[in-house]
Amino acid sequence: MPDLHSSLSLLGLLQLSSSTLPVGAYSYSEGLEALVEAGKIFHGESLQHWLAWELRYGSIQLEAAAMVRTYRAIATDDCAAILYWNAWLSAVRETEELRSQSWQMGRSLLRLLQDTQPNREPNPEMVTKLAEVQQVCGHHCNFAIAFALAATYWQIDERSALFGYLFSWANNLVGAGVRLIPLGQTIGQQILLNLHEAIELASQTILTLSDDDLAACGWGLSLASMTHETQYSRLFRS
Amino acid sequence: MLKGVVFFRKRKAHPPTASVTPLRISSELNSPIGWQGKLDLAFAYAQEKTSLVHCQVQAPLKVQRPFYPEGNRVCHSVILHTAGGIVGGDRLALNVTLQPQAQVLITTAAAGKIYRSNGLQARQTTFLEVSAGACLEWLPQETIVFNQAIYRQDLRIELAPGATWLGWEITRLGRSARGERFLQGQWRSHTEVWQQGHPLWIDRQWLQGGEPWMDSPNGLAGCPVIASLAWLGAPISPELLEKIRLLWDTTNETSGFADGNDEAAVTRLQSGLLCRYRGNSTQVARRWLIAVWQLIRLSSSRQTACLPGVWSL
Repeated sequence: MPDLHSSLSLLGLLQLSSSTLPVGAYSYSEGLEALVEAGKIFHGESLQHWLAWELRYGSIQLEAAAMVRTYRAIATDDCAAILYWNAWLSAVRETEELRSQSWQMGRSLLRLLQDTQPNREPNPEMVTKLAEVQQVCGHHCNFAIAFALAATYWQIDERSALFGYLFSWANNLVGAGVRLIPLGQTIGQQILLNLHEAIELASQTILTLSDDDLAACGWGLSLASMTHETQYSRLFRS
Repeated sequence: MLKGVVFFRKRKAHPPTASVTPLRISSELNSPIGWQGKLDLAFAYAQEKTSLVHCQVQAPLKVQRPFYPEGNRVCHSVILHTAGGIVGGDRLALNVTLQPQAQVLITTAAAGKIYRSNGLQARQTTFLEVSAGACLEWLPQETIVFNQAIYRQDLRIELAPGATWLGWEITRLGRSARGERFLQGQWRSHTEVWQQGHPLWIDRQWLQGGEPWMDSPNGLAGCPVIASLAWLGAPISPELLEKIRLLWDTTNETSGFADGNDEAAVTRLQSGLLCRYRGNSTQVARRWLIAVWQLIRLSSSRQTACLPGVWSL
């Protein structure tokens, strides 16, 4: 029988990685819209291939690795490290569009945390930390940084937070692909199921990467996102 | 050790070895077997002239005598790699300092070559320091990464307030002219641009040799050539961005070389600009990047540059 603490953590995780988390994730396609328009992604298989590759070698690994590092920095009250990883992420984002997305979603999540009370007695220490991160990262808080804070705030363990981060990313982009290609909802769910293994593998890798190892192969994403910035007709925002 | 012989023979690619490159090779392979090339340059600006004021080199790196094809303000320097190419175990360290107001263009005498590795990583580390009001244009010729090469380069740029850096890199993976593909080996390129303790741009690229990397649309999409141009230290106006975005079509309309697989795009960085190319031709990449560079030159109220004579265009 799981104890109350772990059940509550699980609920926190489900809520944080839910597609209904009001941070605007659904309005971004991270290059998929340009790829679909160019005919490079055109069915379920090509969408799944794209997402599985990104999980294995793409820049989502860098984001997730920065999220994990921030999670640890919050736990040890290392404000300088939080600031460092936030600035690092802003500098690592391939395009203006991806950078703006990360900042907008980060800002929204921080605001949500401020405007809601946690399900348990708020830990005064955490309230201070929330204020601290806001102070430190200012207007340009990346989503991965805010996510790490939310995970700490809702007492989700590190590994679960990492799963949640990768899952909500995949879930959102499968949703975007389903709308763009378009695909049936069942196919979307099948793709997401098929990505479980890639998510599991990615999280294992991310937990073992040294700072110096952090690198990605981002040519496809970089070009697609840049192209999307000037795409004439589109559903998804820059 | 036998391996010292490496210093004296003409560089040729190593014979094939059975060793398979591990995924994400670490930087631990740093045993001093190949060249330990060094290059330290400093430039200063005084009396309306930029001069090379410090120059210390260690083979196989050398620098040509500076020249001034566009007047005394801008010093052109050409770096040479006298051994012809880089092999596993080589370590090259380049340091370039621009003192306040100096304006320098640096290129290389020939295309760089990274030969097939004997199992060791070849590594180049470059540190560029650009002081206040100085401007460095870092425009090396393309690098050809042979199949089975294991290579890592680190480029770090420190910008003082008011300093600017424009750099490009054109890389061909595999000697595609002779049908070679990059099917084994590893290429890793870390670039970081910092200003007063704040990172402006961090680019952490790596590629593993192999068909999944070469052919996946996420990776190289079947194209052997990748190129990037970054300009940092100055905010980019929407008007300039718009003009630069138009250049890809206009340069290809006039010369008509780019094929349907060639892709190029532009975005803004924090305090700068980034252009990326993925395609089949280093010529197409270079022509486009030159056009972008020239437009940036004009926009920053400087003359368009005359192209270095060592470039065979």
